[in-house]
Amino acid sequence: MSADVTLHAVSKTFGTARAPALTGVSLQVSAGSCTAILGPSGSGKSTILRVIAGLDEVSGGLVLIDGADVAGVAAEKRGVGMVFQRPLLFPHLSVLDNVAFSQRVGGASRTESRRHARHFLDLVQLGDFGARSVQALSGGQEQRVAIARALAAAPGVLLLDEPFSALDPALREDMHELLDDIRQAVSPTIILVTHDRDEAAAVADQIAVLQGGDLLQHDTVDRLYNRPDSLRVSRLMGGLNEVAGVVEAGVHVSPIGRVPLSAGTPDGPGVLVIRHEAIEVSPCTEAEAPRSGVIGHVSRVRRYGPRRMVSVTFGDGVVLQAALPPGEAVRDGCRVALTLPPAAVCVVPLSAAPR
Amino acid sequence: MTPPVARTGRMRLPGDPGSTLTLSRGSGRLVRVVSTVLIAGWFLLPLAPLMVWAFANQWSFPALLPTQWGFEGLGSAIGQGALPALGASLTLSLVVAAIATPIGAMAARALTFGAVPWPRTVSVALLAPIALPPFAAVMGLNVLILRASIPPAAGLVLVLVVMAIPYTTFTMRVAYAAHDIRYEEEARILGASRWSVLWRVQLPLVAPALARAAFLAFLVGWSDYVVTVVVGGGEIVTLPLVTASLAAGIGNDAAVAILSLSAIVPPLALLALAGLAGRRPDRASSSAAPSIGERR
Amino acid sequence: MSLPLRSRRSTLLVLPALVLAVFVVAGGVGAATLQSLGLMPLIGPVRLSVDAYTGQAGALLGALGLSLAIAAASTVIAALVGVGTALLIVGGRWCGRIVAVTSAATVTIPHLIGAATVGLLLADSGVLARMFGVPPELWPSLVGGPWWVAVVLEYAWKESAFIGLVVAGTLITRVARFDEAAALLGAGRWKRFRFVMLPLALPALAISSAIVFVYTLGSYEVAWLLGRTYPEPLAVMALRLFNSASLTARPEAAAAAVLTTAVSFLVVGFCFWAVRKSAVWR
Repeated sequence: MSADVTLHAVSKTFGTARAPALTGVSLQVSAGSCTAILGPSGSGKSTILRVIAGLDEVSGGLVLIDGADVAGVAAEKRGVGMVFQRPLLFPHLSVLDNVAFSQRVGGASRTESRRHARHFLDLVQLGDFGARSVQALSGGQEQRVAIARALAAAPGVLLLDEPFSALDPALREDMHELLDDIRQAVSPTIILVTHDRDEAAAVADQIAVLQGGDLLQHDTVDRLYNRPDSLRVSRLMGGLNEVAGVVEAGVHVSPIGRVPLSAGTPDGPGVLVIRHEAIEVSPCTEAEAPRSGVIGHVSRVRRYGPRRMVSVTFGDGVVLQAALPPGEAVRDGCRVALTLPPAAVCVVPLSAAPR
Repeated sequence: MTPPVARTGRMRLPGDPGSTLTLSRGSGRLVRVVSTVLIAGWFLLPLAPLMVWAFANQWSFPALLPTQWGFEGLGSAIGQGALPALGASLTLSLVVAAIATPIGAMAARALTFGAVPWPRTVSVALLAPIALPPFAAVMGLNVLILRASIPPAAGLVLVLVVMAIPYTTFTMRVAYAAHDIRYEEEARILGASRWSVLWRVQLPLVAPALARAAFLAFLVGWSDYVVTVVVGGGEIVTLPLVTASLAAGIGNDAAVAILSLSAIVPPLALLALAGLAGRRPDRASSSAAPSIGERR
Repeated sequence: MSLPLRSRRSTLLVLPALVLAVFVVAGGVGAATLQSLGLMPLIGPVRLSVDAYTGQAGALLGALGLSLAIAAASTVIAALVGVGTALLIVGGRWCGRIVAVTSAATVTIPHLIGAATVGLLLADSGVLARMFGVPPELWPSLVGGPWWVAVVLEYAWKESAFIGLVVAGTLITRVARFDEAAALLGAGRWKRFRFVMLPLALPALAISSAIVFVYTLGSYEVAWLLGRTYPEPLAVMALRLFNSASLTARPEAAAAAVLTTAVSFLVVGFCFWAVRKSAVWR
């Protein structure tokens, strides 16, 4: 049982605040899908969840759950479940009773609610933990119980507010797998708030990028990485390469050279963006640049996880970053050819607004 | 683990403006308003006679309002020794607060962050005076105090300080439990001496709690009757004693009202001052988000 | 005994409060016990005897029964009104603020003053009687009456503010964050109160009620000012004997004091033990 969620030009200003938390956010999440809301701290991500859940009222705009306007509907009646950053398990109840809480409150007997709860506890792989007290759980186990508790209420929409940010990276991977299992078993509509790009990419079908209360782009993961709408989105997704120039007849002209683009790119001034992972680097001995490539000089090689990041300088001081796979023998001062595949290259408008 | 963040704004209550959880609709609103009126009335009603009797020269039954207004009650109260009693009460309460607050704070600090031997037993011992009826304590101690030739004032202060210790210790324990020791550790690493850390870091951070604890200790001294009567032995006359002797008599209603008002006003004034001082300019208002919900 | 440096410093910090507390509590109770057993007479020979207890056993038990009844009635009323007060305070908005201010003001009033003003209110020719226009013969004897109404009401009035503020404090600091989680699991306001707020506030409610009970049990001035001369609660009886001139009076007064103290400590000890056993205590 899943519901679709629509936000229509939602804005929210908190009473005494100078700046609004949300400005004209329109978002559509289809039933059964998983959308991640990605953005830096203070961008208003949690506010969106709270507005959908009914914990805060909107200052303007509409929130529709399954097509119905929920303005004025109390949080307990919206059919929305939420897992917070801190698990907030009730300390006076055992693990099983925590998961059974929604049923108890709905009027079921203790045995009936516990029977119902065991199924969800098994779903999060904590079937044996029912009798324990919540103080005896680790951080990861607590969040699993919190998820089971929210699911046991059979919500149409499950909201997750940075639920894994307090956990270790290894544990987070387990949690992402858990989310996959849950989607297969129950398939609620999931909206996950995170500031971690990798988490958003790993878990969600679509990502909505938020900054300063504005929704910048709502798209699939691939398109966000390779076809960002604006410089802001590119930067938020961790893009490192921006080259200002002009598009002429399908080719981007700039101090680094001429880069062919995919069909349909309009002429005019624009900034070329390309992911550092998408650039191919090879030592270059020819005088001419390869097709869809440019030639430059390596100015720095530094470590980047298991790989290396190469900074390549061009005329006019433009620098491109490229991620090298392990083993490439490239050194400072080396002359290299960078291949920029058209499928990975994107031109975005020149935005005057600073980051 | 994210580093500790100092709480600058005040805590967000469930019922704060904008919160939807305590929004009452329809009949719920009526229930809330009616119960507020009833409970506020319950608290305020016994104080009503004071306001009228204080300025009544003559008020014979069954008149609804005093037949004659005036300040005879004030004169009568002053004649019975209200002003020295007020001074004695103030002095006693301030002394009790001045002693009980630091020693309670020190004990709370040691119990929270130190390594006190047998901490459970010590905690129980410090909380025990709450269960001790004041009259029982003084009836027993009076003999000891007399035999040890301790002056009555000192004995009185001693017993009242001990009666205040559970309140100051508990208040400071709660405060120290919420206190982040890492501020002090950071200061030490930055080169501050122990005294500097105490004076510049610890005290400012726990100052509100210290004020609360001091206020509670002040109230213990200010409100006491039995201990002052027994240990004071008639030498020390505080406001409750004067009020009691007049209230036990007949026809002193106006004076009793005046004395009651003068016993109520100073603590209330302190409370109001503390309330106003505690309302620091809300720094949280300059940022967009509330403390719960949005991660900073 | 060589303690590590940290322990030594902590001990020094605790010592002033500890020494004073132990001296007054142990010294007071000990001295009272010795006096009641005749081992610390004001004048005369030291002679161990339980006459102070057995000689007035009936009176002692009667006084104890009355004290317990007054304390129980006051505590129950104070707890009920206190919980209501706490809920209103936590609910916030204007209603919460008004209730918070009035209850905070009530807490600062000394009990003796409270007794004086309740007397002015509830007496035969008091303000309430005048408001309703009821002549003294028809007005129920609330002050000094057989049911100790004025006494119980004064205790309940002041202590309800105390319980209200303590429980509100607990609710705000420890319980408020669970409110949103409970609401999103489908619990309306009454259900949230019944399943989340009340269980979590119960330890604080129990402890503050125990403190109120014990205070009322051992309190003197209100019962003396607003009560009647016979029967008398333990505190009034003890002080009357204490001030009386007869030789046997001091041990008897001490006996009443020891009895009250014993009951008080039993009640508080039981309450703490019960709260410890419950899962919620942290």
